[in-house]
Amino acid sequence: MQVEKMGFPTAPLVTIAFVGLAKSNAASRGMPLERICFLPHPMTNKSDEEMYKVLEGNDPISNKPLMPEIIAALTQPLTADEKKTGTISPDIGPPTYVGTQDELQRLYCDNNLTDYMPIILPTEEKVEAMLKGTSHKPDEVIGKLSAAQGALPSWTFTVRHVAINAVMAGASPEYFPVILAISATGQPALFSSTSSFSRMVLLNGPISDQIKMNYGIGAMGPFAEPNATIGRAWTILSKNLGGCGVPGLTYLGTLGSNFNYNNLCIAETENRLPDGWKPFHVQKGFKPDESVVSIFNGWSLNNVAWFPNMPYHELIKNWLTHFFSFGTTAATLLLDPTIAREAKEKGFNSKEELSDYWSKNSKTPGWLYWDTHQKELKQAQEGVEPYASYLKMGDGEIPFQRFYRRGRPGAPPDPNPKSSIEVIVMGGETNTYWAGGDFSYVTSASIDKWR
Amino acid sequence: MKINRRKLLSLIGLSPAVLAGTPAVADDKKKKPAVVRGQEKFETLNPKGMPPAVQLVPMAPRLDTLDGKTVFLVSDGFAGADRFLAQIAIWFQKNMPSVKTVYRLKAGAYFDDDPKLMAEIKASGNAMIMAYGH
Repeated sequence: MQVEKMGFPTAPLVTIAFVGLAKSNAASRGMPLERICFLPHPMTNKSDEEMYKVLEGNDPISNKPLMPEIIAALTQPLTADEKKTGTISPDIGPPTYVGTQDELQRLYCDNNLTDYMPIILPTEEKVEAMLKGTSHKPDEVIGKLSAAQGALPSWTFTVRHVAINAVMAGASPEYFPVILAISATGQPALFSSTSSFSRMVLLNGPISDQIKMNYGIGAMGPFAEPNATIGRAWTILSKNLGGCGVPGLTYLGTLGSNFNYNNLCIAETENRLPDGWKPFHVQKGFKPDESVVSIFNGWSLNNVAWFPNMPYHELIKNWLTHFFSFGTTAATLLLDPTIAREAKEKGFNSKEELSDYWSKNSKTPGWLYWDTHQKELKQAQEGVEPYASYLKMGDGEIPFQRFYRRGRPGAPPDPNPKSSIEVIVMGGETNTYWAGGDFSYVTSASIDKWR
Repeated sequence: MKINRRKLLSLIGLSPAVLAGTPAVADDKKKKPAVVRGQEKFETLNPKGMPPAVQLVPMAPRLDTLDGKTVFLVSDGFAGADRFLAQIAIWFQKNMPSVKTVYRLKAGAYFDDDPKLMAEIKASGNAMIMAYGH
């Protein structure tokens, strides 16, 4: 669209999995009739010959020959509608709805305003009660939210908007500052990505006990009201305050993620941390008596129940070597306090020491290394070291340390890269279990600011 | 999270009231509902935030012909877009050899602007075909 704005004709090519997304994106950016040409989906696995055949075939949406359609997109004179200017105001429906409980539950579901479980109906009275959970004014604008920042439009929302959504999720007013803090990060619970992102939200500081978050037995399960409703509120507000979660338009996750119902809303077991181990928010620069919410981004979690004949830190190092998913360069470990204490007894005096050990000593399976390092594979085949030696190792473990923050591709190498492994301690100490996954830390925000 | 003993008893199916010797008494003084149950009307609030207004952007004037023109073939970086655009270049060579094609990989994520590339297209291009993955 930038090129069109510069005065040059364009023909965007999009696969048919993204018809709704492409058209709604063009419309929301002011060019509803953009001349998009569509291709079969997926294209990535086709050979060059198969791709050429696609060019000689038809656009699967318009059913017109593809290449003449592309050429027409660049050369056919514009229609009057394509030249239109002006402003279109968005339609978000009426300010209120009236009906019986059943009618309203159905209305909210049918309009994709919920997570498809029954909600608490947001009456004026309940919203007013929720607003008493913060000192902030109802009309204060909090920020912006989008299903894909930069690609899809950002919506604006106020404290009152968040209160309506918090009521729907079943949250109590005492939880409201947490929900406001989450919304103020501008991070949606539902991304547009085809990869079905999951989210995790972690609470630290006095707030956890004040609102009775469960960080003991079943810390990740359905056993406490704040864990359940705060996480749920994030998904509901992402739909309603950022336009996220409309399948085919602003949500493309092919498998979806069950985690999105609650977004793994957890709290750290700060009172059972080994001596010298800092709570997560203190690791990120906050004071111990501050209440903080931290947000993570990822896809999956392994809940590991295994009694090894080796120390747990060694077992987890080996798990890290062989773990892979869409994310292969970051990990978050959720350790029961019993595992954390054992690590302390083995000489790890902080979470940082433990994650540094894992980053330095975990490796990469041969197949995964070569699959993600095609340039190095070519060099290995040409005899360039150390890649040539790696290649001789076959399917063995390549000494490539992948759990470091290395910056964006093309950025200069960091001489002292930091570990990309985060450690959180939680759980009820009923056994020596732990969970690990590809979640990476995104940001933290003050809850106290929203009290 | 602390759970007190009375709460714990009720969670495992034992009524703390029964253990305390307090008989459970039904409340027979309930008021009759003013309307038929389930038919009471409520007014609820629309939970939606504020999407931005859309400024319509007129499309660029089209070319009379592609003959003799330079068409930039731009990939957004998703896998396969580069190979597909290479096939488009081959198609033009075979079918419209007067069209000059220039392949470029756009910098940044698929939704990021690439001012350097935009400047190059402005300086030496006439049109753009852009492939979005996957």
